Amino acid sequence: MAYLVLARKWRPQNFTDLIGQEHVSQTLANAIRSGRIHHAFLFTGARGVGKTSAARILAKALNCDEGLSDQPCGICSSCTEITAGQGLDVIEVDGASNTGVDDVRELRENIRYLPNRSRYKIFIIDEVHMLSTNAFNALLKTLEEPPEHAKFIFATTEPHKIPVTILSRCQRFDFRKIPLARVASRMREISDAEQLTISDRSLSLVARQGEGSMRDALSTLDQVIAFSGEQVDDEAVQTLLGMVDRRLLLDTVEAVLQRDSRRALDAVRRVDQLGLALRRFTQDLLEMFRGMVICKVVEDPAEMLDLVGEELKELKALAEEASLDDLQRIVTLLMKTQTELVNSSFPLLTLEMSLVRLATLAPTQDLAKLISHIESLEKRLGSTPLPKPQHPAQRPTPNPTPTPTARPAPAPAPAPTTPNPSPDPPPKKPEAPVATSTESKGWQGLVDQVKQSRPMLGSVLEHGRLLKLELPVIEVGYTKGSFMSSQLQEPDISQDLEVLTTEYFGQPVKLRVLAVDIEQQSAAPPSLVEEREAKETDRMRRLREDAMEHPALKSVQDIFKGEIKKVIPIDKGFV
Amino acid sequence: MTFDQILGHKRQKEILNRALANGRLAHAYLFAGPDGIGKRLMAMALARAIVCEEQRGCGNCLACRKIDHQNHPDLHILEPDGKAIKIEQIRAFQRELNLKPLEAPRKICMIEQADTMTVGAANALLKTLEEPRGDTLLVLLSSQPNRLLETIRSRCQPLPFNRHPKSRIQAELEKQLGIASEESHVLAALSEGSFKKAFGKDRDLYLEQRRDLLKTLTGLSSGSILPTLDFADQLAADKTVLPDILEIFQAFYRDVLMTLQGRGDEELVNLDLKEKIHRVSAREDVSTILAKLEALVEVRHQLDRNVNRQLAMEVLLLKLAA
Repeated sequence: MAYLVLARKWRPQNFTDLIGQEHVSQTLANAIRSGRIHHAFLFTGARGVGKTSAARILAKALNCDEGLSDQPCGICSSCTEITAGQGLDVIEVDGASNTGVDDVRELRENIRYLPNRSRYKIFIIDEVHMLSTNAFNALLKTLEEPPEHAKFIFATTEPHKIPVTILSRCQRFDFRKIPLARVASRMREISDAEQLTISDRSLSLVARQGEGSMRDALSTLDQVIAFSGEQVDDEAVQTLLGMVDRRLLLDTVEAVLQRDSRRALDAVRRVDQLGLALRRFTQDLLEMFRGMVICKVVEDPAEMLDLVGEELKELKALAEEASLDDLQRIVTLLMKTQTELVNSSFPLLTLEMSLVRLATLAPTQDLAKLISHIESLEKRLGSTPLPKPQHPAQRPTPNPTPTPTARPAPAPAPAPTTPNPSPDPPPKKPEAPVATSTESKGWQGLVDQVKQSRPMLGSVLEHGRLLKLELPVIEVGYTKGSFMSSQLQEPDISQDLEVLTTEYFGQPVKLRVLAVDIEQQSAAPPSLVEEREAKETDRMRRLREDAMEHPALKSVQDIFKGEIKKVIPIDKGFV
Repeated sequence: MTFDQILGHKRQKEILNRALANGRLAHAYLFAGPDGIGKRLMAMALARAIVCEEQRGCGNCLACRKIDHQNHPDLHILEPDGKAIKIEQIRAFQRELNLKPLEAPRKICMIEQADTMTVGAANALLKTLEEPRGDTLLVLLSSQPNRLLETIRSRCQPLPFNRHPKSRIQAELEKQLGIASEESHVLAALSEGSFKKAFGKDRDLYLEQRRDLLKTLTGLSSGSILPTLDFADQLAADKTVLPDILEIFQAFYRDVLMTLQGRGDEELVNLDLKEKIHRVSAREDVSTILAKLEALVEVRHQLDRNVNRQLAMEVLLLKLAA
């Protein structure tokens, strides 16, 4: 037999070997001991955490000649057959290669027959997520009520691709990523058994490469052994893993933080000369900055970063120098660079550009500081007497002429036929307490502005009768019990309105909604809408008179003996 | 090709040789590294070393020659069929694997551009890759290993390949093509450490036309728009060389950026155009150069998406001339 890679050679053969998955092995062991064994299992989790191994161990436990036990003997013929992958009653199917419905039908044909000599007939379907929808559906009935002698074990890395109907018929076990320390200690056992000399530091470096996957870590260990034989020295591990020298990385980070683009470019050149992969370098750089961000926000970053001693201290010292905002910006830019590097036709340039950019970034101003700065400025300005906020763009009346009668400026323009437009203000209640206190900041202006941002609210206001406008108090009257008054009294609407008025007048304003009795209505000042209507009818009357007087019209009347039924003003917007 | 004939990659050779000598060859390797740096050659050399009658990849025996001609019955090479490696190819290959090797001690399978495997194909390969039947050696080659499924990557022993240093490529260019060192420098600098790229460059374009192109480019000014539009017209005319021309522009502005940052001349690509670079860098600053380089990156993106070439070139040149 040829050489077996470590991951295969040291495949766990019983539940105790299955490290990091105690929650699974214990549940399964208990189920076996108590004889409550489900007929279908689904093992999910990342790559290389022990799903297939667990499936095989479970199969062994179920079929062991020594009797049903959570400790399969590993020496009986059943156990050895399963280990060798030749078990007659344990059928391991490659779900990704046999994806079709026909494959499942074949399996269903098979399932009817009793096991050859073991207790159960066990179907292990690995990579089950690749089965087609039809294949899954063909399985449903069988999976729900399989014959007593059949057990199913599914294993997959992508449980989300499995139909819910399948999921609900299985007992699901989620395998976790294996913690670094557990991987390292298991690798220590293995390397001792393999008679390797390797330092703890190197082992943990290798283990980190696995990112929580035992198989990845062991593949890397294989690679290390292939490179340096049974005596592994730390430096070899570093070079082999293509790890960028930490010194070089630190240099680059420092250069970026000190905005020394020249030194940053120097680092790129060294990377280039060493022939290191630029993406890897960017990745490592990114990780450094990530570490710094974590150092900034987490009290005790040691655990999160899997760093110890010196390395952590260095990182912390670097993090001291930079602000969190800067670091985040750098991380964002580097991530962008990383994706750009994939498709770049000139990766060296991409990296250089991004480092120059990083090193020339203007330092960020802390937003909170800026805001407090503005606030203090505002306060200082506020003490001097020019508190009128300007809304020139929104003001409907460009030249604030204090008209005591508050003739609204955007009054309907005169009709074309009117020789002298609206000579007199329409008759109105003289006691209307209009905008005398705030000059240009009148009621009309407020309503117009509210209308711009909140048209509905604006029209509600238009219907209100202005009873009092003496800042900071405004009183508006509405017919008692009307819809509008109840609307204005709703808390969120009144709140909005308060904000808008405050904005308009530049000072806090108290808006009171009063009810006006119908009898009193004649006494109360008219609302804007009423004013407008009054004006409108006035204008119509004048228009009609003008039209009647027109000589052309007169001659038409004379010639055709016509009669004037209706006078329609040409749209006032255009006159 | 034996290991010795492959340039560079000393460490990778060492790893493979040692594994061969100790009988610790894994069943699946992933050769990862940029295009055109010798991954395939290395895989072929490995195959020869395995099948060789003299156990060393002599190159003379029948088995070695069969490998060289790619008609060895136990060497299977999977290449993208069209754009991707499809599941049928994997299935056919798996059927092959059920049989015993005919001549060689073990079956050898090379999967080129493994990252082009479709999801179905990659998944179908998983079980085989983890525990191949019998004594099989699988070698996956990929320039974009990150695009492979994690589950694939985790089942292979990774063997990363590094880019060649510029000096090695330059020396090789001079030796094989007999060109002057200034010219080989340009090609080597633009090759990203890949022999394939260095030798594949259109030499006429990179060496002869480059000067003229850059001369016209630097001659453009925002004041007179007609020459700019004419130049855009000229650039947009030939779709095939356009990416190369843009690369030349990029290299040039990079040189200017480097000069602005006060880097030494030895880092420049366009060594022969030093004066021009200095002249341009005198009137630019870092932010304008970065903006220009950004514009170049952007236009390349756009060209990949089939925009109107002429329009893209006009916009680009207006930005560059600004």
